[in-house]
Amino acid sequence: MAAVNRIHAQDITVNDLPWKIEYDSASCIGCGACVATCTFGAISAAVASKGTSIAARRQKDGERLVIRQSQSIPEACVGCGMCEKVCPADAIRPVRNPESRWQVIARGPDTIKRGGRKAAHKRTLDSIVIGRISQMTDPALDSERHTFDLRSPLGRVLKPVDLPLKAVGENLLIQGPIPSVRWIYPLIFSDMSIGALSARAWEAIALATAYLNEECGMPVRMCSGEGGVPGALLQSERIRYMILQIASGHFGWNRIISALPKMKADPCAVLIKMGQGAKPGDGGLLPAAKVAPHIQAIRGVPGVTLHSPPNHQGLYSIEEAVQKMHLSLNAAFGFRVPVAVKCAASATSVPVYNNLLRDPYKICGGYFIDGIDGGTGAANEVSLNHTGHPIVSKLRDCYRTAAGQGLQGRIPLWAGGGIGMTGDAAADAFKLICLGADGVILGRLLLQIMGCVGNEHGRCNACQSGRCPTGICTQDPRLVRRLDVDSAAQSIVDYMLAFDAEMRKLMAPVGNSALPVGRADALVATDRAVAEALGIQYAC
Amino acid sequence: MLRIATIDGHKRMSTQELLQKISRSLEDGETDFHISASGQHDIGGPCWNGTGKPLRFVVSNPGQRVGSMCLPGTEVIVEGPAPADVGWLNSGGQVIVKGDAGDTAGHCAAGGIIYIGGRAGTRSGSLMKRDPLCEPPELWVLESVGSFSFEFMGGGCAVVCGHDSQTLPSVLGQRPCVGMVGGTVYFRGPCGELPPDVSLLPLEEDDISWLDKGLENFLTAIGKTGLRKELSIWRHWRKLVPAKRDRAAKRTTMRVFHEKSWLPNGVFGDILADDGRTEPLCAAGNQRLREPLWNNGKMNCVDCRQCLEYCPRTAVKRREVGENMDYSVVAAKCIGCGICAAVCPNDVWQMRLVSIESVMR
Repeated sequence: MAAVNRIHAQDITVNDLPWKIEYDSASCIGCGACVATCTFGAISAAVASKGTSIAARRQKDGERLVIRQSQSIPEACVGCGMCEKVCPADAIRPVRNPESRWQVIARGPDTIKRGGRKAAHKRTLDSIVIGRISQMTDPALDSERHTFDLRSPLGRVLKPVDLPLKAVGENLLIQGPIPSVRWIYPLIFSDMSIGALSARAWEAIALATAYLNEECGMPVRMCSGEGGVPGALLQSERIRYMILQIASGHFGWNRIISALPKMKADPCAVLIKMGQGAKPGDGGLLPAAKVAPHIQAIRGVPGVTLHSPPNHQGLYSIEEAVQKMHLSLNAAFGFRVPVAVKCAASATSVPVYNNLLRDPYKICGGYFIDGIDGGTGAANEVSLNHTGHPIVSKLRDCYRTAAGQGLQGRIPLWAGGGIGMTGDAAADAFKLICLGADGVILGRLLLQIMGCVGNEHGRCNACQSGRCPTGICTQDPRLVRRLDVDSAAQSIVDYMLAFDAEMRKLMAPVGNSALPVGRADALVATDRAVAEALGIQYAC
Repeated sequence: MLRIATIDGHKRMSTQELLQKISRSLEDGETDFHISASGQHDIGGPCWNGTGKPLRFVVSNPGQRVGSMCLPGTEVIVEGPAPADVGWLNSGGQVIVKGDAGDTAGHCAAGGIIYIGGRAGTRSGSLMKRDPLCEPPELWVLESVGSFSFEFMGGGCAVVCGHDSQTLPSVLGQRPCVGMVGGTVYFRGPCGELPPDVSLLPLEEDDISWLDKGLENFLTAIGKTGLRKELSIWRHWRKLVPAKRDRAAKRTTMRVFHEKSWLPNGVFGDILADDGRTEPLCAAGNQRLREPLWNNGKMNCVDCRQCLEYCPRTAVKRREVGENMDYSVVAAKCIGCGICAAVCPNDVWQMRLVSIESVMR
């Protein structure tokens, strides 16, 4: 083996890669588990030649078995650490390479693609604290024992004066249509499609949703993502817990429409996805390798690469979007199901919200704004790192615009994008609610709760590769077997029970029994610019 | 006996003046006070006699917190109603209010007995608790209590007799016993909706004998012995005690929920076969990511047996077929680590990726 390498200065070696495998040949017992486990082919067994050996304890001629890191870009170590996890001898682990040249060498001719979230940066939410503690002014509540009302609307909420009601004697007669409004838990498991996630991961989230509703009394809703909904679920009562998403590709909707006559219950809502915070302007993409047979069956498509364009074909203005998309989807479910819209946060979010608020048909049941820190299963890194709009001030601006016209709360505002990035989803949710959100949507955190090891510091984030080492973002049946549906669902349920308790912990000192939507007086910023932008108190 | 009138013409004695007057009299050995009050707070406690003699306060028209922080040996009798916080933080005294009591009667009482001869207001009995060094506190109410009664109650006994209150939706007001973790609330009459914190139970023998004895003393103290018969029909009574709570244990496990309540074959059952089995990170057989192939012929096996020696799973098999060697791997043992290929001096063993497509088929 030990051929003399002729290494050139321009050759790519492990020193150029983002992660280096730290390996201790003296401890290695040669069990091969690390190599068998690595889904990226980033390491392999080899025989080291005489002279490089520190502990030559094997092989004729002083040769011995070692583990080597692959030097190729497609097989670059992503730092997932499964080798370290499986090694019985503590002999191997990936370490971050500060001298990485990845951004320079990994392009060409194609763009760099990855999943996950934007790289870590200072978050606005972290310079806000809940600083108004009720004490002498009004009593704080007991978070453990007080009854809190954690419910948020999804659906168009009419002003009392606009309700088509007429008093006739002692009766109140309904004179016209009243938009339906769902009062749900202020956190939605947000749109991750059946193509992006493994069947087990998607099912675990659906199972956790049902469990939270039926065993814990928490009306949490799950959004299907844009890739369709399994037929068995469409025809089950559990469809009540689902928000059906439609994006530009309309994938799976032919099957949803076909299922309409057989459905036993209405879904919670329909969410029109115009864009995604993680990669606005970049469409949906499901590589052929991930279009497994069950996905073909749900979407009614052949096994080829599937693109959702970044825009809805045939919608050219806000008015048209409202009239065409909202109307069609309201009509599909007999005007019984709220229809909301999700857009990437943008410099134009406020005019869009304003326009929706003024819609004379009052047909938009929610405005979901997705910020730059959102996650994705696959994106061009340039979109992920350099496009988008921070969510905090944008949400605040939308709320204040509505409040300025006395229209706050009429079209519920749901905010997302990086909720729970630090692990503390309740704090993020609470702060956004105080700034005007009716509720929050989160997705990536669910994966991390189920066992995803990816993070904002460049670890793993290989969701687009189909090689997910935890069986969460892959359609490879061997890798999917690494995930246990029940344990994954249990982890989500446990996190949510803690989330619920933490929300109470934050509501109690503010003294609110109901969600403090728009109560920005409960917050103070430790950063003057943040305070000014959000119109909240500055404290230092 | 000391009589104190708190109004002299147009001049009203302040709370401080009254309490300091009582204090001085206590030092002089006075034990029996008759106070015609005019809303002064905190009458009756904490007071004591230096030689341990019992103290008695007969009060009319008190202010808030009459009989508060009362010590053992003190008896406070209010002729008529009293405002909020009767017997607040009672630490062993006996407080008798012949009429109604205001809000938070018995709040935080940890000892002694409080008798209310009428209604008691909202949050009565909240945070009552038991001091293990003392007898448990008691709060008796002849009629009903207001909403949020017995919130966060941690110990002691409360009795709501429901006299003249049976047409109310609840003799305990709305949302009684939220956060109750200890003690017992006995009541007679309707109780409305209860929080999950408590269990509603019928009386047992011990409860009846305790109530029977206590009722006699209560009715005597408030001068309503005529009600003895009406209030002693024990089947009209019930009690509330903290629910034995272990929420996590009560919930179905996810596995049982999945088996019993979830869609029979899961959401993908009709289109994707999945037995639900899990595999460890390092899997063998058809779960391998890579597999070794013995390409003898293309390369030349010299039968050095390095692969046999180094295979960590003893998956390599060597067979003599006539004069030739034949190597293979037992798939069920092989994890696809590639050590056979690494140690093979002639690259006869080669690793191949097992494609997703082949696994899906």
